[in-house]
Formats: sequence, structure tokens, C-alpha cells
Amino acid sequence: MDDLMKDRIEQLVDYIMKKCLWQFHSRAWDRKDQNEGVLTKTMQLLCAEPVELETPADRCFWVDAVCLAEAYKKRYAWLAAMNKEEIKLLMQGLHERMDHLTITGSLNLELTDRHY
Amino acid sequence: MLCEVKEKTRTGIINPIFTCQPCGAQFVSIGVKNCVGIVHGGQGCVMFVRLLISQHFKESFEIASSSVHEDGAVFGACSRVEEAVDVLLMRYPHIKVIPIISTCSTEIIGDDIDGVVTKLNAGLLKEKYAGREVHLIPIHTPSFVGSMVSGYDIAVRDFVTYFAKKTEPDKKLNLITGWVNPGDVTALKHLLAEMQIDATVLFEIENFDSPLMPYGNFVSHGDTTIEDLSGTANAIGTIALNRYEGGKAALYLEKEFGVPAIVGPTPIGIRNTDTFLQNLKTLTGRPIPESLVRERGIAIDALTDITHMFLADKKVAIYGNPDLAIGIAEFCLDLEMRPVLLLLGDDNTNYQNDLRIKAFQENVDFPMEIITNADLWELENRIKNDGLELDLILGHSKGRFSAIDNNIPMVRVGFPTYDRAGLYRHPVVGYAGAMWLAEQMVNTIFTDMEYKKNKEWILNVW
Amino acid sequence: MPYHEFECSKCIPERKKHAVIKGPGEDLTSALPLGYLNTIPGSISERGCAYCGAKHVIGTPMKDVIHLSHGPIGCTYDTWQTKRYISDNDNFQIKNTFATDMKEKHVIFGAEKLLKQTIIEAFKAFPKIKRMSIYQTCASALIGDDINAIAEEVMEEMPEVDIFVCNSPGFGGPSQSGGHHKINIAWINQKVGTIEPEIISPYVINYVGEYNIQGDQHVMMDFFNRMGIQVLSTFTGNGSYDSLRGMHRAHLNVLECARSAEYICNELKKRYGIPRLDIDAFGFGTLAEALRKIGMFFGIEDRAQAIIDEETARWKPELDWYKERLRGKKVCLWPGGSKLWHWAHVIHDEFGVDVVSVYTKFGHQGDMEKGISRCEEGALAIDDPNELEGLEAMDMLKPDIIFTGKRPGEVAKKVRVPYLNAHAYHNGPWKGWEGWVRFARDIYNGIYSPIHQLALLDISKDDIPTDKGFMTQRMLSDKDLSEEITSSTVLRQYTGKYDCLSELSKKTYPGFDPVLADAA
Repeated sequence: MDDLMKDRIEQLVDYIMKKCLWQFHSRAWDRKDQNEGVLTKTMQLLCAEPVELETPADRCFWVDAVCLAEAYKKRYAWLAAMNKEEIKLLMQGLHERMDHLTITGSLNLELTDRHY
Repeated sequence: MLCEVKEKTRTGIINPIFTCQPCGAQFVSIGVKNCVGIVHGGQGCVMFVRLLISQHFKESFEIASSSVHEDGAVFGACSRVEEAVDVLLMRYPHIKVIPIISTCSTEIIGDDIDGVVTKLNAGLLKEKYAGREVHLIPIHTPSFVGSMVSGYDIAVRDFVTYFAKKTEPDKKLNLITGWVNPGDVTALKHLLAEMQIDATVLFEIENFDSPLMPYGNFVSHGDTTIEDLSGTANAIGTIALNRYEGGKAALYLEKEFGVPAIVGPTPIGIRNTDTFLQNLKTLTGRPIPESLVRERGIAIDALTDITHMFLADKKVAIYGNPDLAIGIAEFCLDLEMRPVLLLLGDDNTNYQNDLRIKAFQENVDFPMEIITNADLWELENRIKNDGLELDLILGHSKGRFSAIDNNIPMVRVGFPTYDRAGLYRHPVVGYAGAMWLAEQMVNTIFTDMEYKKNKEWILNVW
Repeated sequence: MPYHEFECSKCIPERKKHAVIKGPGEDLTSALPLGYLNTIPGSISERGCAYCGAKHVIGTPMKDVIHLSHGPIGCTYDTWQTKRYISDNDNFQIKNTFATDMKEKHVIFGAEKLLKQTIIEAFKAFPKIKRMSIYQTCASALIGDDINAIAEEVMEEMPEVDIFVCNSPGFGGPSQSGGHHKINIAWINQKVGTIEPEIISPYVINYVGEYNIQGDQHVMMDFFNRMGIQVLSTFTGNGSYDSLRGMHRAHLNVLECARSAEYICNELKKRYGIPRLDIDAFGFGTLAEALRKIGMFFGIEDRAQAIIDEETARWKPELDWYKERLRGKKVCLWPGGSKLWHWAHVIHDEFGVDVVSVYTKFGHQGDMEKGISRCEEGALAIDDPNELEGLEAMDMLKPDIIFTGKRPGEVAKKVRVPYLNAHAYHNGPWKGWEGWVRFARDIYNGIYSPIHQLALLDISKDDIPTDKGFMTQRMLSDKDLSEEITSSTVLRQYTGKYDCLSELSKKTYPGFDPVLADAA
């Protein structure tokens, strides 16, 4: 991954960490679902692809994704210059980074507690 | 007999008048200099008592917890006390006195706090803190016995028992105030000063009302020293103003060291203050000076202005610490008022035999109820459902809604009084206290007359 | 992110991993304070117990319930009248508290008979109240009374009443948080699903982790009502017992204080498939986004937008008046749990203040993850702080104001730091657009208090200014501001009333959309 990409991912991460709450559910499996659900839908929105809204869970991911995609478009002008493939790559990088920060690299000892 | 003494007939409590014993012990502990208590139990037993005290005084006081958690509750938590003592001593170099205050949980699991103290004295204190003056005092205050009132009484006794040491007799008098405010201590010390009596005051809590200074950090604390406490054995006599808050310590000093004790009466009102001065005179031989005759005269003058014109026949309910509530009821009678309901909020069986209560029973000429083991529902229910009519309620802030919801004026008195500003600064004892209390009552009634348009015009020409 | 070691805590090395300073370019994987661990005895921590977490924080805001503690009198007395969670049934739950008043004989011979009699008497004293929560305490847990069995017995004898039992003794966990957990799980296990609520709108939510401090819930209900959303229950501020039994029928759980109430949302998701939406209702932008998300979820975003536009237009000039005067002020954000992340970023963004420290009394590591992410670089984050550490931190950071609890606020006062009550608020509500301006106003009044200014003067050493008979907040706050700001005709100070709730209670709403048969 080049430095520009890395830097852009960090900008996206920064926004999520500062403004969002969905990435900080209390257990690893929930965080995995949340990251997957919200970021996938955000990617679809940014790529103008259809978004699945079948279930209440889908809708819940989607509302967070809409707000995130809007904020990204508003804040990061460089997004407009990217094509779909680039956005997908970027969002994949973001997803990996988020998984690292909130799950695999997290120092939160309660993430693996089996009960709520 | 028009005055009846009854015990509450319900089993549980609806809206309590008191909290439990450890609170009383904690209140005593903050009156001692270089002392931070450790409450052996769950953290709430400290956190909420600190909050309660800070609500009342608008100050923060230092009290520690042994923080008993699940494992301690199952396997015993004495090691938590050991650790707490060590941590406190390490981080607070000025600390010399650490009462270990038990609670319901640690009494039930049977933690031996006396044993822990012995162990620490022989071990940790000798090894790690050799050369440092440290006093560990076990105080047993299980929450399922008595109330904060008895917890206070026990703690005063235990502090005195621990420190009192007979050496050379001195000319000092012991004055055990009971659970009072800084304003009371100031008023009492003023009376002693006027009579030129040198006294050890338990406890020196005037600095509970502490300043916000432009420099440093002024933590509120009491100023009673170890020397004060150890010297109590050498005094010429002890006056414990409150039978139920300090009486035990006075009797201990009498029994153990032959220090003559006078227990009560609480010097609330002119008459009880007169008695207090007479008791001072008896024990010390000091005359009552002209200055106090004059001070008393000012108070009598002020009371004459208000008593038969406004206070006469006013029906009042009084609740709170027993000595305070009884003392106020006595004063109310002198003011021609009618204390129709007196709530004493714990199960102490001695109230029945209190001579002051017997005197009510013998002499009161209107229906008066004295409820023991009471809660505030005894008040509320009588007002709401039994047609009790009141002109005034006297008590602490926890009963504020009984007054508010039933449109009855209320004077805050006792502990805690968090819903009024600065009350801890004003005395209810002594001549000054009598004047302040009576004027609070009458001004509160005046305000109520004005809000309710109840003969408010009468004040036009007063 | 380096751990921060306090001078005063060097002798208790376990403390070392409980504080960090957020360094530049670092992230959460480099350091995170430990959290929710057993307290160090004697450290003079600010934590409470698991009983209070259950009874006092979450249980008692339920309004139409007799809250009975089974134990000695202290637990119930101490947790009575120390919070500002109001209700629309004349504050029954604030005014009245109940205890079995367990004594020595009960400890020895058992207190179940006492419990049963007290339950019956309590219902008799308040014949209109038919619901009860019973809270275990240290004492009743240790003697092993079977509270559940007694509750069952009474319910059989008195079919018109319903009783909830919460077994959360004070020693159950490192802090009050243990009690939050226990009561969440107890409620869903015992009570959720035992009533079928009437669904009268196509848009149905539970509003969770909201305790109606100074009327926050009333403010939020106004927005939900304006959007035509049926709030099935509020967990638990101003919430009614029976409404909370029907939580399983909501379409969405809107969660505020995740610290105290995420457990029940997680369980509702697992058991009933109701999604969990975490929101921040403090702040203009945050609340706007929250309402938009809820609106979008139901396809009624336009209704949210109408509210956002109206409220923003009404209150933005007032918010900005304060922002101009609070910019750059240093704040220690030292609450109990959730406000450390609810507020950390938004008070920076919208009031212009800098959060120099966050702490949590009873939070877990997850709360620190959120809080540290949201505060600025250089901030000091402390888990389970104690008295000396708090003083040392204030000495080091020199904050202009501190948001914390009542008693720690008194500690701050003595070192000349103004405080606002982060738990009970000064002049709340602080939620909603107007509420957020009220918060800004409280901060402004705290920082620019003329009396606070006088507190800093040492008359024995300093020059005493003799040219003024008074100062106003405005004279202090505006002296370095530009003319453009001080004479702005757009910006204005708060214009609301002391009591901003009484008007709300008189409002009427258009009502709910019809529920379609197949949607129900």
C-alpha cells in the first residue's frame, strides 16, 4: 500500500474514531459484524451500488453508513476523483485497519468475554 | 395521659429518618486531626456517606474504603484492611489515626478486625513504619444494629477508650457535644470562654466550615488531637450534652478513671442552656458572669417579641436525632408551641425510659404522640390520611417533601440539611441558638402566611 | 501512548497502567488504561458499589414502582434523594424509598418473613402503586434470603401486583458497574416479554440508557413525538414498569448510555433481533445526526430534518455566543462513565473548549477506547482515579473548569477550579438543542464568575484593585474579544426560562401514523 493510500485511510479512520460509536460494541464478534456491516454499506454507497435493506439489522447498518458516506464526501474532496475500484480498495484498507484497531490489535481485555 | 409513646407498628421502613451505624462512626472520624478512617465493607458504605456529609457541609471529607468485592465476601476480606492501612499510610504521611469501621457485610462474614489490628501492630507497623506514630482503632458498627446515632455514640466511646490515659490530673473539663454543627461548637466554646473554663471539646469541628483560600488546598477536617483524647482521663469532669451521642464515652470515663460525668440535657432553648451553665458551674466552680446574663437577656427579649404573639399554640412535628428532637420539643413548649408529633427514628429501647420523655407524658396538656422506631411515613401518613394538622415541621432535609407536598412550612434543622444554604454555620444550642432557632421558626411562618395570604396583613404594624 | 505515573501513586505500582497520555500519532493499540478491575483498598477511590449501580442508577428512575431494599436501613437511605432523575408522575420514585430495615435478629434467624410483611405493608401504604422492585443488599445476600421465592409467594397471593427482583449486593464487582450489568440481565430475564404492548405507530423504538436527569427524557420525547415515533419504553428514566416489560416489541433500540445499558440492548438483539443504534444526544451536530439516523431507519428522515432545521435556527446564535467566549478553555472531563465519550469531542467542536483530561470512575476499557479516541492529543486519561491523583492532575493541568460529581467538585473548589455537576447537571436539562445551550451557559457562568475571580486574589500579597465596585461575567469574558463579536447583532445569550420543561408538558402532537396490518 502506498503512503498516499495509507494517509487517506488514516483520515477515514480518524473520522470514525472521533465521531462514531458503532465501531465500539463491547464484544469482538459484535465489532466484527459492525465493521463489516457499516463499512460494506458505506463502500456500496460511495460506489453508487445497490445496498441491501432487507432486515432491520441491514437498515441499522445502513443509517450509520449513510451518515459516514456523506461525511466522507463532504470532508475528503479527493474521494470524488477516485473511481470505483480505487474506492473499493480504499474501503477494504479501511476495513482492515478498523478491524485491527478495534478487534485484533485492541488492548480491551473484555472483547473476548463470552457473555454480555 | 395525653402524651403517648408508641412504637411504629409496621415492620419495614418507608422513608427513613436515619442511615446506619457506620455513618455515625465516619462522622466521628472526620472530627479527629490526622485521622482517616477505613470503612471495612462495600464501597457504597463510604462513597454515599462522603456524599451525604458533603451535601450537608458543601465540603469534601476524606474517608477510605477497604473495597470489599465478591472474593472478599466469600473468602473473608481481612487482607483488604491490611492493604488499605498500608496504602493509606504510604500516601498520606500525616496520618496517625486510622479507625477500622466495620459494616453489616464484614460483621456477617465474621472478619476479625480486632485480630487484624493486632496483626498489623505486630507486623506491618513494626517493620515498615517503625518510628511512626500510628493508631489503629477497631470500631464495630454493624449496620443491622441501631442507627447512625448509636454508631456515633459507639465511635466516640471507642476513640476515648483507646486514647484516654490517666497521668496528672488537670483543671480541664471534657465537653462532648454530640452530633452537632460547626456553629454549635462555636457557640458552646463561646459560653465556656465567658465562664473562663478550659475544656477539651469533642469534637473540634469548627473547621468543617473551611475556607477557599487563594493558595494551597484547605481540606476540611476536624482538629481534635490525640493529646486532647488522651487527656480526657485527667479532666475534672465530663459533660456529654447528648445522651445518645457521646453519653457512652462520658460514662466510660467516669467508671474507668473516676471523672465525674453529667449527661445532658442538650442545651437547646433558654432553660436547657441555663441548666448547662449550672452544670458547668457545679463541675468547675466558675461563676456565671454578667456577660452571659446580658446575652441571655437579649435572647429572652427577642423571644418575648415573638412567642405569645405568633408562636403560641402552633402545632409542630419534629424528627431527627433523638437528643435534638427532644431538646427542640422542650424549647417549643417554653415558646408556648405544641409539639404534637415527635419521631425518634430507631429501635433504641431506652427512649421509653428517658426522663425528658416521661416529663412530656406527665405534663403535656394536649394530645402528643411520640413514635419510636419511626420513619417519615409516620409523619406523611398522619398528614395525608389521618387529618393531622400542622403549622410547622422541624427536621432534616430528607423529609422535605412531606412539607412541600402538604404545604406545611418547614425549618431545616439537624443532619443533613442540604436543601438550605449555610445552616451548619448557625447554632441551635446556647442562648444564641435559642434565638436563631425561634426566629427561623417565626420567619418561616411569616413567609408561609404571605404565600398563603393567611392574615399576612397582621405584620403591617408589628 | 505512554502510561502516566502519578507521583502520589508511585508506591502503588498497580496504578501505573490505569492512566495514559494521548500522544501524537498514536492509536489505541499502543496503550489503553486497564479498567473495571478491583479497587486498591485505601486508595480513596471515588467508586460506589454494585447495589447502587443497580438500585440507584438504573432501578429507581422507573417511576411507578415501589423500590424496596432488603437489608439494613443505610443502603436505602444513602441512595435516596441524591440524584435528579425526575418523572411525570410527581416524582413518586424520588420522594419515596422503602427498606426492610433488617436487624440483628433477622441476620441470625433469617429475614424472609420480615421481607414478606414489608412488601405487603408497602403496597398497602400506596394502594395505587401495583409494581415493585426489590433490591438485594450485602446483608441479605450473605444471609442467603430467597427473595425470588418471597416475591413469587406475594404475587400469588396478590394477583394484581407484579414484583421484580434484583440480586446485586454491594460487593458484587469492582464498582457500581457490576450492578448495571446485573439489573440489565435480571430485567430481560424476568420481565421482558411478560406483557404484550399496544403498537400504535409503524415506528416503534425503545429509548435505552436514558435516565431523565433534570428532564432530558422529556426533551427527547418531544422530538420523538414530533416525528410520530412510538417510544415503547425508556430504560429507565421516567420509564414505567409495564412499558419496560414490552421492550421486545420495538423495531429499534436507540441507545445512549452504553456503559450502563448496552447489556440489555445486546440481549434484545440476540433474543429478539432488534438492532441497536448507539447515539449521542448531547450537542447540536450529534443530536441532529442521531435524529436523522432514526428517521432514516423508518423512512421518515424529512421529519427529523424539519426538527433539526427549526431547532438549529432557534438556538445556534445562542450556542455561538458562548462558543466565542469559551474557546480554548481547558476542561477536565471527569464523569462517572458514559459522558467521557458523549462529551469529549462535541464540547471541543461546539463550545470550543479543550479537553485536557478524561477520567472514569466505573467505566470499562471500552469506554476508554471511545473517550480517548474522541479527546484531543495530550489529554490525560485516568481509570478509577483517587483523591490524590485528581489533585495532582489538576495541579499539573491547571484546568479552567471541571465536570465531575458533587463531592469531587468540592475538592476542586478548594484548589480554585470551578466545577459543574456532570451527573446531575447544574441547570439542566442539557440534552436537546436548548439543553446544550444551557450547558454552555452553565460553563460560561462557572468560568467567568466574578466570585471565582475574587477567589484567586491574595489580599495579603497582591495589589488590590480598588477601581471597581463590581464585575460582571461579561466584563470578564469580553475583554479580549474582537469588536465584531462583542457587538454582533446575530449572536445572543441564552433566552430560555429557568424551567424549560413546563411548556413542553403542555404541547400537543399530531399523533401517530396508522399501523398497517401487515406491518404490525
